[in-house]
Amino acid sequence: MSKPKVAFFEFTDCEGCQLQVANLGPGLLELTKLVDIVNFREIMSEEGQEYDVLVVEGSVASKHDEERLKQVAAKAKVIVALGACACTAGVNNLKNLKDLAEQKKIVYGDVDPVSDAIEAKPIDEVVKVDYYIHGCPIYGPEFLKVMECVLLGKPYKVPAYPVCVECKQNENICAYEKGQFCLGPVTRAGCNSWLPNHGSVCVGCRGLIDNPAADAQKDILEKYGLTVDGILDKFTLYCNSKKERAKYGKEFKK
Amino acid sequence: MKYAVIDKGELGRWFDSLKEKGKIYGPKKKENAFVFRQVKEFEEMSLLYTPTILPPKKYYFPQKEFLFKFKIDPFSTGKAIKEFEEFILFGVHTCDIAGIQCMDVVFNEKPADPNYLNRKEKMTIIGIECMDYCDKYASCAAVGTHVYKGGYDIMLTDIGDSYAMHINSEKGENLVAGKKYIREMTEADREKFNKAFEEKLKKFHNEFEGELKEVDESFDKGFSSPVWKDVGDRCVGCTNCTAVCPTCYCFDVVDEVSLNLNDGSRYRVWNYCQMDDFAKVATGEDFRQGRDARQRHRYFRKFKYSVQKYNKYFCTGCGRCTRTCMAKISLVETVNSLLAERRGK
Repeated sequence: MSKPKVAFFEFTDCEGCQLQVANLGPGLLELTKLVDIVNFREIMSEEGQEYDVLVVEGSVASKHDEERLKQVAAKAKVIVALGACACTAGVNNLKNLKDLAEQKKIVYGDVDPVSDAIEAKPIDEVVKVDYYIHGCPIYGPEFLKVMECVLLGKPYKVPAYPVCVECKQNENICAYEKGQFCLGPVTRAGCNSWLPNHGSVCVGCRGLIDNPAADAQKDILEKYGLTVDGILDKFTLYCNSKKERAKYGKEFKK
Repeated sequence: MKYAVIDKGELGRWFDSLKEKGKIYGPKKKENAFVFRQVKEFEEMSLLYTPTILPPKKYYFPQKEFLFKFKIDPFSTGKAIKEFEEFILFGVHTCDIAGIQCMDVVFNEKPADPNYLNRKEKMTIIGIECMDYCDKYASCAAVGTHVYKGGYDIMLTDIGDSYAMHINSEKGENLVAGKKYIREMTEADREKFNKAFEEKLKKFHNEFEGELKEVDESFDKGFSSPVWKDVGDRCVGCTNCTAVCPTCYCFDVVDEVSLNLNDGSRYRVWNYCQMDDFAKVATGEDFRQGRDARQRHRYFRKFKYSVQKYNKYFCTGCGRCTRTCMAKISLVETVNSLLAERRGK
């Protein structure tokens, strides 16, 4: 049996998630015993056009992106969304905060190098996604876990619980105890509380859990002397897509 | 020798003598909190400490515990029971020892859990008695865990310039036998010991506004109490209260396959009733929808169901759930609200 072929394609993003994959080292070499990587421009110059598993990094932010995604997706048996941009549109959602024409004016001035730009969106608004690997950037060990699931043909369940679960098991001091504002309680886990382990707060890059307790969160902010605008600002960076907004919108009263 | 005495200056020397028995885990400072960690030198420990972030539970019921290996093709599974190494928990509070006793009851119930029991067999517990409250969150007097009631090998009690040692097992006996610097308790020591205990009892008082019997009744009548809605509204669902509890024993079982796609390992990992999907089943039904129902379940697990099933309160009064709650949901306040509600009726 020949090895399944895997191709990486990037859209609107920084390619940092692919860099995380490239940096896996021995884990990546192990993986190449099981699959043929046919397209991955950060680590190879060959460009294969036949593949079984398509790993898509980046958001769809132009008509061109949309058409190209449909094209590359048509050849794939399995589609994996890699990173926040592909899964939730990530930081690219910031572009959607203002009207497109106004946004272009701010960024490009009088020139218009991307005449077919559209509102940034996650790839599952264009193609059917089988696996999600959240995060900005992705957490390397989770990428390998997902690839195992892909190869075994079983689903990968993104944790439905918040980052606090992992953070507490790692015995970190809670950011709230230090008077810091952390998105851990409302952000989906799976990164092994990567940022808090290194003394930083969670910034919500993996997106919100399905039922964030937005009102309770608001009360907490008030207890710690933080404001509702404060939390909205924090959500803006990564949890600003329509899907994410709907999660706290339904419960969140200002 | 049931009671012995060691001068404080000799405790480090005794600690050194324990090293050959196995790894020693004790309380260490971490920023403004404490954690149980491996201790190589006596001085690394802080014997005066507020309850650690996680209870010592992590050493006999780890966050992620390897159970056995398996192969997919040809299918085979390894042995579930593994040999564990001897280890010592040093400086365990009486509330956490009460937690260990609760876990013992659960994992001894048939079918008994071999992993837990084998690990427990290798564990030596050296407790330390609290002579005053650790902080305002503890409610150990309410559940009677501020005084020791077995479950350890040796218990240390500060009696001034020395520690009284209550030796409670053969294992404990062996750890002090033949040490010239550990003496039998004299009359004078015993007087100091009794005095210290008297002074200690003056400092502790029932933190609940009612006796346990009344608490029990208030839980009987309190299933539909508005208290739960209030707690549920404030709860953010972070799960911290269950993560830090010394008597929470729920777990999930997960299989992880290595990259050759043939060899795998089975693990059990901590799982909490405070997780959103904990009581969700395959058809999509959720038996405890809402954070109010989930919080209520947590309290009933500590004050009602365990009493019905094991005749034991599963709250050890350590105060961790209150201490860790960013929404400041307080166990003592919740119980007192239930008590007040019952009296009001």
